[in-house]
Amino acid sequence: MVKLQFFLGLTLGLGICVWNHYRWQKNLKGILNSFSSLDDRAISLPPVYLVRREMENLREESKLIARERDSWQRLIDQAPIGYLLVDEENQLLWCNQQARILLKLDRWRWGEVRLLLELVRSYELDRLIEQTRKSQQPQTKDWTYYFTRHAILKNSISVESNSYFDSTEMVKAIALSGHAFPLIDRKVGIFLENRQPFVDLSRSRDRATSDLAHELKTPLTSISLVAENLLNRLQNPELRWVEQMLRETNRLINLVKEWLDITQLETSPLQNIQYEQLSLLELISSIWQTLEPIAKKKKITLITNNQDDFLIEGDKSRLIQVFLNLLDNAIKHTPKQGKIIVDINLEPKTLDKSTNSPASPLAIIDIVDSGRGFVSSDLPHIFERLYRGDASRSRASNFSGGNGLGLTIVQQIVQAHGGSIKAKNHPQSGGAWLRVKLPQKKSGRI
Amino acid sequence: MNYFSPTVSTEKTHLERSLKQVQQEVLRMGTLVEKSFRMSHQSLFSRDLDAAKKITSVEKSIDKYYRQIEMDCATLMTLQSPVAQDLRLLSALMQLVRDLERIGDYAQDLAEMSTKLIKYEPHQCMEQIKDMSEHAQFMLATSLVALADLDAETGKSIKELDNTVDEAYEELYNFLAFQENVPGVIEPILLMGLIVRHLERMADHATNIGQRVAYIVTGKIN
Repeated sequence: MVKLQFFLGLTLGLGICVWNHYRWQKNLKGILNSFSSLDDRAISLPPVYLVRREMENLREESKLIARERDSWQRLIDQAPIGYLLVDEENQLLWCNQQARILLKLDRWRWGEVRLLLELVRSYELDRLIEQTRKSQQPQTKDWTYYFTRHAILKNSISVESNSYFDSTEMVKAIALSGHAFPLIDRKVGIFLENRQPFVDLSRSRDRATSDLAHELKTPLTSISLVAENLLNRLQNPELRWVEQMLRETNRLINLVKEWLDITQLETSPLQNIQYEQLSLLELISSIWQTLEPIAKKKKITLITNNQDDFLIEGDKSRLIQVFLNLLDNAIKHTPKQGKIIVDINLEPKTLDKSTNSPASPLAIIDIVDSGRGFVSSDLPHIFERLYRGDASRSRASNFSGGNGLGLTIVQQIVQAHGGSIKAKNHPQSGGAWLRVKLPQKKSGRI
Repeated sequence: MNYFSPTVSTEKTHLERSLKQVQQEVLRMGTLVEKSFRMSHQSLFSRDLDAAKKITSVEKSIDKYYRQIEMDCATLMTLQSPVAQDLRLLSALMQLVRDLERIGDYAQDLAEMSTKLIKYEPHQCMEQIKDMSEHAQFMLATSLVALADLDAETGKSIKELDNTVDEAYEELYNFLAFQENVPGVIEPILLMGLIVRHLERMADHATNIGQRVAYIVTGKIN
């Protein structure tokens, strides 16, 4: 009896054991199935070995990934472009060598986590990061970073900032372009590009040309004076030649004047703007009146859909220059009996991204002609100096003006007002469509 | 070697985080003050009137930061009741932002003066004043770095840098004040007198910032 009980108990125990073992194996297989990507699991090895093999594989894989990551990191560290990584609390997690050079991060030690502002005192960079984090959209910004030297006693690495009585300047400036990208965990990565060489180049080019323009101004004026004097004393055919000479000289003089004007506007925009209250509708209709003789010849009509007027603050003579130029262009490119549409609207209030305060509302002025529009390959360049589009827009066909500076001046004036101008072709009519945006109130920009 | 995620102590108390935030705001304000100082420098010595016009909006944001930080400090002090260094930090920051704000004010004043000064030929003193202004900026930068590093040594050392500015002020003052037979109007001389005075004050405020940094770290006032 005892024996029977013993065996019964033993069988029951063994049964439970086997069942447990079977369940465990099934579990293991289940785990394997859900984790592994190997497809040779048909091999009838015990699951424990399979699991071990799987672990080996995973370890190998993670080693591989780590190696790859290291090589990427080394690559970024050596990259010719600056890179910064900033965490949620604006702490600098990592930066590469180029970034250290560009921002003069000589106080940053590898592996140290500090606030970015403790290391780089740049308000613009800080704003860029903030904007990127807020919008979760990639952002780009150009600014000039100034580095003021300081006397830090503990600083042993940088010799340069230690000896502050050396001959180098106290404040160094470098033009940078930052591209910021939102990353996971509200981190932000920023690429920094050195724009200084380009800025230097374009500045020296502009200076060279405006020096040249200055030099040309005086002799050209005297040539045109001489030519004017000659006109009275000459007969044809010489008269015709001198007339042509005078025409061409005056064209050159205009070109030189406009070039100098652009340079002025570009170097110190705010000084060249005298603000006053203006009515946009009045301004445009008075300009149209001066252009009407030319428009009548081609039987072109102006259509304005606006009933109510908009007041803006701006420089009257400069804005006249803008719209005279734009409307004159529109007339030139509109065929006979065509029409030009001018539309003025007010953009609803938007938030100024940089200061987070309500920005001054923008007046939007659309000018659409009924010509053939811009050639699409010209569009990116039309605001460039001396750019001329295809033959129909070149000076051969219209002798009256068009030296290639008109739109550049327009753009400079609009930008000096804190506005913007865009050109495209109207989707329906196909005519040239210029959209000018001007802030209604005089804007104090940082 | 892991570049991307160095060990960060993730657990921080609310107070620690708030303190860090306030510190960051102060540094942010510092960058703006530095910027406005730089702009006043440009308007004075590069005759860049655009900078003089733009400075007003910078000054406005500085004021905004100033009020905000003062409020934040007061709130933290009352609600979190910090002790020891934290308390020193908060009380010093409250006074430090005042110094910063004053420097910003002076910078705006300088820019305004530059618009008056532009009518006259550059005076022979301007070179010397420029050096003085640069040195004052150098002091401000040093004090801001000391603040960022919480470096008491550097903070204290700014006092010695101030001597250079004081000497320059003395020298320029004597030169400007004791001229005889000055031709024409005296506005430029008056303006330059004010400018050197302002610069001297700005350097003093930078020195104060350095002292306050030393106080935060050591707790001693000297």
